[in-house]
Amino acid sequence: MSETTAPTGATAPAQPPVLPRSWASFRTFWSAWSGRVSLREDQFFLLLAVLIGVFSGLAVVCFRVAIDSTQLGLLGSSLSPSILRVLLAPTLGGLLVGFLMLRVFPRAQGSGVNRTKAAVYIWNGYIPFQTVIGKFVTCVLAIGSGQSLGPEDPSLQMGAGIASAIGRRLNLSQEKIRLIAPVGAAAGLAAAFNAPISAVLFVIEEVIGTWSGGVLGAIVLAAVSSVVTMRSFLGADALFRVPESRVARPAELLAYVVLGVAGGVASLFLLKWIEYARPRLEKLPPRTRYFLPAIAGLLIGIIAIWLPQVMGAGYAIIDQALHAQFTWKLLIVLAIFKILATGFSFLSGTPGGLFAPTLFIGAMLGGAVGAFEQHFFPSLGGTVGTFALVGMGTLFAGFLRTPITSVFMVVELSGNYTAILPVMFSTMIAYLISRKYHKAPLFDMLARQDGIMLPSIEEQREQVALVVENAMRVDAAIILSPDDRVADVLIRAGAKPESPLLLRGRFGDWRWVDREEVKRLGSESSENPAVADANPKGPLPTLFPDQSLEEALQAVGDWPLLPVVNRADLSKLEGVITLSDVLRSFRSKSTV
Amino acid sequence: MSEAETKNGYVVFGGRAYPREAVVFVSLVILLLIFLGLTAFVARSYHKKVHVLADNWFAQGEAESQDGRSANALTDYRNALAFTPGNPKFQFHLAQALAATGRAEEARSYLMNLLSESPGSGEVNLELARVAASQKHTLEAVRFYQSAIYGEWTKNPINTRWNVRRELCEFLLDHNAATQAEPEVIALADNTPSDDVPQLKTAAALLLRAQLWTRALDEFHTVLESSRHDPDALAGAGAAAFNLAQYPRALGYFDRLSRDRREDPNVSAMADTARRILASDPFLIGISLKEKALRTSRALTEAQSRVTQCSQEKGQAVTASPASTSLQQLFATSRQMEPDWTVRNLERHPERVVSVMDLAFQMEDAAAQSCGQPQGQDRALWLLGRNRGGAQ
Repeated sequence: MSETTAPTGATAPAQPPVLPRSWASFRTFWSAWSGRVSLREDQFFLLLAVLIGVFSGLAVVCFRVAIDSTQLGLLGSSLSPSILRVLLAPTLGGLLVGFLMLRVFPRAQGSGVNRTKAAVYIWNGYIPFQTVIGKFVTCVLAIGSGQSLGPEDPSLQMGAGIASAIGRRLNLSQEKIRLIAPVGAAAGLAAAFNAPISAVLFVIEEVIGTWSGGVLGAIVLAAVSSVVTMRSFLGADALFRVPESRVARPAELLAYVVLGVAGGVASLFLLKWIEYARPRLEKLPPRTRYFLPAIAGLLIGIIAIWLPQVMGAGYAIIDQALHAQFTWKLLIVLAIFKILATGFSFLSGTPGGLFAPTLFIGAMLGGAVGAFEQHFFPSLGGTVGTFALVGMGTLFAGFLRTPITSVFMVVELSGNYTAILPVMFSTMIAYLISRKYHKAPLFDMLARQDGIMLPSIEEQREQVALVVENAMRVDAAIILSPDDRVADVLIRAGAKPESPLLLRGRFGDWRWVDREEVKRLGSESSENPAVADANPKGPLPTLFPDQSLEEALQAVGDWPLLPVVNRADLSKLEGVITLSDVLRSFRSKSTV
Repeated sequence: MSEAETKNGYVVFGGRAYPREAVVFVSLVILLLIFLGLTAFVARSYHKKVHVLADNWFAQGEAESQDGRSANALTDYRNALAFTPGNPKFQFHLAQALAATGRAEEARSYLMNLLSESPGSGEVNLELARVAASQKHTLEAVRFYQSAIYGEWTKNPINTRWNVRRELCEFLLDHNAATQAEPEVIALADNTPSDDVPQLKTAAALLLRAQLWTRALDEFHTVLESSRHDPDALAGAGAAAFNLAQYPRALGYFDRLSRDRREDPNVSAMADTARRILASDPFLIGISLKEKALRTSRALTEAQSRVTQCSQEKGQAVTASPASTSLQQLFATSRQMEPDWTVRNLERHPERVVSVMDLAFQMEDAAAQSCGQPQGQDRALWLLGRNRGGAQ
């Protein structure tokens, strides 16, 4: 919007065309919005967030309906389609997807999360609208024909693409355009998951990385409006019908330890597999990439002859697992084959998300642990549904490495807090195992494999920020009072020739006193004047020990040193810091 | 916007200039409205299609279920439910199909889900009770049956509750939980309308199974008041009277049965035993001293024979000395007393009849304990001993 030219500005035409009075006032008002008054733009940004939310919600409704309709058309309405359909649908679908992806919508390839991150950090918020259409068409075909992928990640990217397009059309400032993609991403994900809190947390945890006040409000508004829109068309029911859950006994937490470990190991397996196989498949001749989705489809079709449950996103199957409708043996088999099917689909480059398969595998693993416990240790009294629910969060945390989102997602999906303890317990175990044995989280790994160095939110989280306390020097200054006599000061200063002189004012203000000035005053005056007459410099900006060194760097300016004071008592000196102290500290960190 | 022309941030349209951002914003709103309408159309069409599919699968499932093909019905219900996952009717039918195909755990899971949504539903509680019963979880079954009895029933609640209680009684009696069954059977009988013969007969039969003989006899009697020749009621009343040791009354009922029914093994066995008891009871009022002495002597001989036979079955000599088993001791006592217990002596001293018969009863009882339930005349003597005075 900053580019907008006001009619009264220097670059405005000398005589604007015929302008109705009402539009002239709108134009003036608009100009005020468009960059000159930042508050107005912020408010407009919030309004825009709602608009983006509604657009994304509608897009997700159409997306889901299109996927389901395609699935009905290709695989039929039965949960157990015929062998012919099971083999042909994903294979032929994969062939078409491969062609469309390489010839018509090349930008539709890749992870939606990373594309959105790239838009924020590299392309100044730019996501071509063609990507939205490409994602929509190819994912509808892929997921609808039975590829083992989910609609959440594409929804996230479509939301971001819609937001980016709207932002560009409205000539928003560069800063806002950069922020608008995550707003749309949150809206898309919220509508796809029917879980606004999880979507907001995911975007903050994985895409933005910070709780920025400037964008949080917009993200929340967009997520809420998209979910409201989606619910008004597809109903307010949660994605899964979670049965009454309970944690019977504290001893049952042991079973959740097992689930955490199982989730961690399964996450690791999938991560390592993708890490190993993806670059190798990327190296294949370009022509083969036309056929990879079809080959993946055929492999999935073969699995689906015996286990049709592995096809598609698998929400209905998750629902069945939550209601304890599988034996523990079948649950394990389903988890293993879903990992394989998802690996085939994802590694073949078929567009689609990994969220739904992650939830599927987690639910099967969790259900298996629960059913095993119920079968062999019935006295513990746990419910399979609770285990399946916790399993979803566990694998989400282990595979996607978003522990906070995982915990809240489970709470949001189940609608109660009963499972909060086991889910915290299990997700943390899976997360720690996954982090210990696989350094880069999934999305960072994919970005690096694609040759893009996107900021790693997990690494940022792990980074220990340097603070003033690390660089300041304690007891390094001589503290003076305004009434101190110059002769006394000279004696004290003589005892510590290296220490700077700091004058503590009566109101907690601090000033720097030049030794030379004190000496000059002492030699020129015969009356032993007060040190306050030695032309102290200041007041000095003060720092606190917990402030970051970046803040110290900004504050230090041209001052020779800055006092570091206690937050509870501003007249109490904790230490002093100089520019060289700050630089030394940064230097020592970079050599570690 | 064919006439549109962008010029310095303005869009000229129809001879007028409008700020570009305003045009874009208004266009977006219009686009949103179009998109909204389109999505509404698409979503409505989709929902309609999905509901039709769900209904078709459900109807197919119902047809399969009625034809007894539960496994096929199960698949159809699952397909129906995939389109409308929250539909309680589909869930209930799926649960029934699951239970019918022996997948009790899965059925239970669906039903528990339904129960959490409508805890007072009689239908769901009853189905849960049946699932628990199939899994032999007696306590849980009883709990759900009772919840079903006191639950909500939309169609004919009184009759349905009566039937659920009957099912509970049958379940308890089938599982030998007589103590738990008693109050339920009594409650069932209390709640049975006196003019409903089939229900009265069912309640009376359950009272009979619960060994509540007097109450069973009363119920059968009520049935017979309105339907004098009802064979089930006559047989039931006879059985109740027999177990109450009212042998003449029992024979009265049995004799009123048709020949076919009298030849029923249970009926004929009871009638035969009743006749034997009446023919061998020395305490029967109205018989002569001689007859009393004869019956007593015969009873002793019968008991001695039974003890001898039982000892042989056990591989023991009944005449072993010294007598170590109860059978040997009782046999030895009877042999010792034999000279005093001749027919003539008993006729002269009728006061001895009681002692002789007591010994005979003891011998039959000891033989029953060692060698199982007696048959024929021995059974009559044994029953006579157990219900002494009953024949009077």
